[in-house]
Amino acid sequence: MAGGTPTQTAAARPAAAAATVRRKRVRPAAGLRPLAIALAAVLALLVIPPILSLIAMSFSDTGSDGAASGLTLAHYAELIQDRSFIAVVFNTVVFAGSATLISLLVGGTLAWLVERTNTPFKRLATLTAIVSLGTPYVLYVMAWLYLLGHSGPVNQLYRALTGSSGVLFDPYTLPGMIIVEGFLWSPLVYLLMAATFRMANAEMEEAARVNGATVLDTIWLVSLRLAWPAILALAIFVFIRNVESFEVPALVGIPGNVRVLTTDIYLAVKEFPPQLGHAASFSVVMLVLITGLIALYGRIARRADRYASVTGKGYRPRPFDLGAGRAVAGAVILVIFLLVLALPLMALIWMAATPFVGPVSVAALKNMTLANFRAVLTAPTYLTLVTNTLTVSIFAATAAMLITGVAGWLAARRQFGGRLIDQLATAPLIFPGIVLGVAAIDLSLRLPFALYGTIWLIGIAYLIRYMPYGMRYAYSGVLQLHKELEEASAVSGAGLIGTFLRIVAPLLSPALMAGWLFIFLIASRELSIAVLLSGPRSQVIAVAMLDLWQNGQAGELSALGLLWTVLMVVAASLFQFVERRSARKTFG
Amino acid sequence: MSHGHTARLTRRTLIAATLLAAGLAASSATAADQALIDAARKEGTVVWYSSLIVNQLVRPVAEAFEAKYGIKVEYSRTPAGEMALKLLNEIKADSVQADAFDGNSAFFQVMPLDNLVAYSPDAAAAYPAELKDPNGRFHAINLAILTTAVNTSLVPEAEWPRTYDDLLDPKWKGKMAWTTDLTPNGPPGFIGNILKVYGEDKGMDYLKKLAGQDVVKVPASQRVVLDQVIAGEHQLGLMTFNHHSVISAAKGAPVVWLKMEPLVSTGNYVGLLKNSPHPNAGKLFVDFILSEEGQKVFQAANYLPAHPGVPAAEPTLKPEAGHFKVTVITNEEALADLPKWTKIYKDLFQ
Repeated sequence: MAGGTPTQTAAARPAAAAATVRRKRVRPAAGLRPLAIALAAVLALLVIPPILSLIAMSFSDTGSDGAASGLTLAHYAELIQDRSFIAVVFNTVVFAGSATLISLLVGGTLAWLVERTNTPFKRLATLTAIVSLGTPYVLYVMAWLYLLGHSGPVNQLYRALTGSSGVLFDPYTLPGMIIVEGFLWSPLVYLLMAATFRMANAEMEEAARVNGATVLDTIWLVSLRLAWPAILALAIFVFIRNVESFEVPALVGIPGNVRVLTTDIYLAVKEFPPQLGHAASFSVVMLVLITGLIALYGRIARRADRYASVTGKGYRPRPFDLGAGRAVAGAVILVIFLLVLALPLMALIWMAATPFVGPVSVAALKNMTLANFRAVLTAPTYLTLVTNTLTVSIFAATAAMLITGVAGWLAARRQFGGRLIDQLATAPLIFPGIVLGVAAIDLSLRLPFALYGTIWLIGIAYLIRYMPYGMRYAYSGVLQLHKELEEASAVSGAGLIGTFLRIVAPLLSPALMAGWLFIFLIASRELSIAVLLSGPRSQVIAVAMLDLWQNGQAGELSALGLLWTVLMVVAASLFQFVERRSARKTFG
Repeated sequence: MSHGHTARLTRRTLIAATLLAAGLAASSATAADQALIDAARKEGTVVWYSSLIVNQLVRPVAEAFEAKYGIKVEYSRTPAGEMALKLLNEIKADSVQADAFDGNSAFFQVMPLDNLVAYSPDAAAAYPAELKDPNGRFHAINLAILTTAVNTSLVPEAEWPRTYDDLLDPKWKGKMAWTTDLTPNGPPGFIGNILKVYGEDKGMDYLKKLAGQDVVKVPASQRVVLDQVIAGEHQLGLMTFNHHSVISAAKGAPVVWLKMEPLVSTGNYVGLLKNSPHPNAGKLFVDFILSEEGQKVFQAANYLPAHPGVPAAEPTLKPEAGHFKVTVITNEEALADLPKWTKIYKDLFQ
């Protein structure tokens, strides 16, 4: 706390002055309007055409040849007429809600332990998040189904121990879906919460401890309360994501006959011709729903000033001392590491190293082979695929964070146009990948210049698809910054742009960097869009993965997935190294 | 059991080697028209949208064609249904990017035949009528034989089902799986086969009983279904490719495909798009892929060549050499009846 950080010295001087103008607040300044308008225009250009295309799709009748022919309300009628609609809605809410809770619990606990305490195994926790984000979902789900499957090691062990011929746990059930989906999204929660906790001021936690509060009291009364708007935002976000998720409902739900709202959509786009209208109508309903949720969230965020803890005063003291609790914390991290990463990874290694997917057994050990890895490494096209994929992902992540960094600030500060900008940047959340893909083909073919068939079209589609994630990172980041920093800057004579570039942007950088990393990792393995938009000169790694998945070469797919994960971990570690250094410069 | 596998493996390798040698000796059986070759060379490139697997077939076919004619093949791999969607949009925008494509019947459900070029090269004459369009708008390039596969370590040989009626035995309830792929290669093909074999009334009766057996739906490819059978998740896999079972069994997997007659035979078809950027190169490419030379690339990749004169690497996988009966589901039949079969599937099984 002693050595003043650059931020502190920069902001401390005018702090007193700022206090006197506290009442005046920052008004939507005139200088900001052009910026807000320009940003809204860019967002509108990216988001509105696909939305219109989506709405048009939801009302258009598909002829027997797959071409649109006339208008219809049939897709909406179908949606409501579902025989078991109530049960499906109930399943959806239970599934999305419980999975959200698991993600929050796992990801949030990890984030708090790593960022706020002196727990051991911090690096392991970060590694867990990054590696599991770098692993393609299809593989992750496949690994879990293998582990928990009827003939998987868990049930095998159970049968060996009890002598029964049944199963201990059937993964193809609602609880199975909840567990897998919950684990799937906990790395997102971890990364987002870690950015939140890293920036939160620890003084209040210390004060609580000094005044005799127990560790649990402190967490409950201070840490959680301070992070409340961020947690709530995240909960709403993850909940929406779970409602519209396809992987788990399809891979786990369909075999087990557990239906949620997206099951129908998944099956509809898999039909021939694909029932895009049905899928689109669902997306439109989701769009309305999400607009409502965002409005709700806006009301909560309006009072968010109370939670801002990054002020002009120096902060960043030593981490919270857990005392005897360190061992417990370490154990928690180890268990999460085991569940979220080690077990599925071991399953993947097992699948990659055996010639065919069989039960875990000693007999299978002597069949172990590196053939799958060899096949992947010697296939000549992967280098181009990797280069293309990295280009596209870096473009999407960078563009998304540049846009949402500014957008998040305007929205969180409720500046001119902030609400509209928030809605625009969040809207793409509802596009099923294939619907966005079809819209992108349709729109890009009408452009006067050649975008279709290039990797940039894929990049732009990824940008649109993942912008909402960037928005959540930026938005909750800004909420933590107390306005007095910006006010102090304004009082000291800086313009709004200057304030943004010199005060907000550096303080926001942990959140923006976390967002960048997240988008980079998930964009690089997106399947549904890539498959539609890849042309002969714009192939990405995801297409090769889908190839292997459809051809069912589970071993080779696992090998490719593992090698890809290794590459992603190296990229992410490099990135984190740079990020930590720049964060040290800003925060001391 | 391991003894049997070794024997089969050696025999297969031997056959493959002999066939390959024979193929090399009788190369360039077909000679494409010189004028077409010249025009194609002038275009320099052919763009091929393929639904085949890149490492196994797309690249080998492209390389063989490039080596023979010096014309570059640019390819993009997309599943058949998505490919048709993509092409329909290109056609609508009057900006067709591909010359040639290949896809199964799912492709033709989405793509109106009017958009395709009628072209029958000499090589096509060798193909039976059931594998091609009378107007030359599509020709089969490889076949798929679909049948039931069984996990041999979970089910002793004495208990293997032999007929479709055997599948109704209560002991299989919940123990069978199939894909959710709604093409002739998935449940709709099974349904079509049953209706053909048993007739409408008895067939529907059978299907209703089968629905009571709780067949597990696997939302992935036929290959994934087979992998799950191998892993022991299910005992029987319906509508799996017979060559997949052979490939896995050669690696020691406990799986065998059953001659549950009649098996289902479907095709994967090649065709040309109207208003494409390289029409002549496209024609030459179709020429090549239908020729014996092109078909041997499929043979070498362990696929079932559609050309009647080119046997499979493991000849018993095709009905003639394997002595089993099949129901051929032609592309026309699929176009006419797939919606009906799909509806039955949705009503009974989904």
